[in-house]
Amino acid sequence: MDDFLAEIEATIARWHGVAAPNEPARRMAADLLETVRAYAALRGTLRFEDEPSSFEAALRATMEQS
Amino acid sequence: MAGLPDLSLVEAADAVRSGEATSAELLAACWANLERANPSLNATIWLDREAAEAAAQAADEAVRAKRPFGKLHGVPMAHKDMYYQAGRPCTCGSRIRADFRPDYTATVIERLQVAGAYVWGGLNMAEFAQNPTGHNRQFGDCHNPWGLPYITGGSSSGSGASVAARFNFAALGSDTGGSIRLPASACGVTGIKPTQTRVSRYGAMPLSFSHDNVGPLCRTARDCARVLSVIAGHDPRDPTSADVPVPDYEAALDGDLRGCRIGLAETSFLDDADAPVVEAVNRALAVLAARGATVSRIRLPLMDAVSAYGGIVSRCEGPTIHAQWLRERAADYAVHLSARMYPGLAIPAAYYIEALSRRGPILRAFADDVFARVDLIASPTIRTCLPTLAETDVDSGSPQAAPRFLAISANTRPFNYLGLPAVSVPCGFDPNGLPIGLQLAGRPFAEARVLKAADAYQRDTDWHARQPPILAA
Repeated sequence: MDDFLAEIEATIARWHGVAAPNEPARRMAADLLETVRAYAALRGTLRFEDEPSSFEAALRATMEQS
Repeated sequence: MAGLPDLSLVEAADAVRSGEATSAELLAACWANLERANPSLNATIWLDREAAEAAAQAADEAVRAKRPFGKLHGVPMAHKDMYYQAGRPCTCGSRIRADFRPDYTATVIERLQVAGAYVWGGLNMAEFAQNPTGHNRQFGDCHNPWGLPYITGGSSSGSGASVAARFNFAALGSDTGGSIRLPASACGVTGIKPTQTRVSRYGAMPLSFSHDNVGPLCRTARDCARVLSVIAGHDPRDPTSADVPVPDYEAALDGDLRGCRIGLAETSFLDDADAPVVEAVNRALAVLAARGATVSRIRLPLMDAVSAYGGIVSRCEGPTIHAQWLRERAADYAVHLSARMYPGLAIPAAYYIEALSRRGPILRAFADDVFARVDLIASPTIRTCLPTLAETDVDSGSPQAAPRFLAISANTRPFNYLGLPAVSVPCGFDPNGLPIGLQLAGRPFAEARVLKAADAYQRDTDWHARQPPILAA
């Protein structure tokens, strides 16, 4: 966990020039591990063709028909 | 006729139109309630009574002169303080924009003005619209009219509190993860998040380009229909707004729910839900069934993906907007806010792009499955009894605060990623006397159906008409 957090802090500092503003920020940064796990859990569960897609087009395609 | 501040928005507009009340009388009545309740609620950030009185006089003169006027003629309003009005304050609830005065006006404000409404102030809100509770370090926390120690819900905290406390007939809020529906639920008022792209965001403070929505908080579903009919529709200045015709939302409110299929969402929406909340929602569904709706239970597909991807989109887009201030003025943010934005800067672009590229296909798959079975998805808006401000104060350092804070919006966030319209209507009270909300979501651009169900429910219940104790104090 310490290594992960150090890596995150270094990445943000290097890529954005932003330092951790407070301790809760560091705790929430450490929680990114949960995000990684959530993405990992999705792998292989979704079957979509990688064709061009548009969220706006999907809104229209699935919209209420009057 | 009820006391003027007790009128719904539609009743107030009709009273001005018919000559039963003047706009000046409406404003004075609202102001009396504001002076009585707001010192305890802290629902406003700035007031402009002088301009409001001038607008009221002009509105009344137009009535006397029999000039043509719009659907909201002479109705005083105040909105979440994040809508640009040329030359007026727009703090966004923040220290960083405490002195900001934009030089142009948001499309939604212009449309309300064209309809005859005018603005008397700016309402308290979560700093940069980024918390679900109503905490605000810069201007002070907003308090719930039904119980001062309790959260108002956020981020449109002042919008919910001011409408509930009867000094505002309607308020614009914004909704990126529940920020209209949460304060509507917590304050016992009605609020609708429209379909993504349904309402222009030009001149509205951005938080998450993909998830931001503009919508109203009002006393009734009919009020929401009135406001939405004014603000919805394509705006050339917001190229992301949909060029889809706006139906007559009020005309659809006929109370007849025969043929309407409503599914109570089981998947995660009832996890750890408090019993009084579940009971209130079940009672509400029985009312809807008595109006002709068919009620069933439904498991929603793809919710793990919706949760994971939706979280990524919001967490990346907010910090992108705020990166420069995070570099230069991090100390000017509340602790919970900078803490929440900071990790978003480390999320890989590949994750963000995956979340965005899957959004359309996921919506199609979700809609094809769910809306073949039901027309509306029902759930509690907030699945627990309402917590206090102290219990959810992340800045206090309490380790229990963060999970409670994040749980508040668990039932609202999915509909932002999916882009679906969703309303929250009051449906009861918890054992502490705080309101409970029923959330109803529909297909894209199904605002008329969503509001029709909410209105039908309000024809047979009076939760939305009850007055908070702050007015009796």
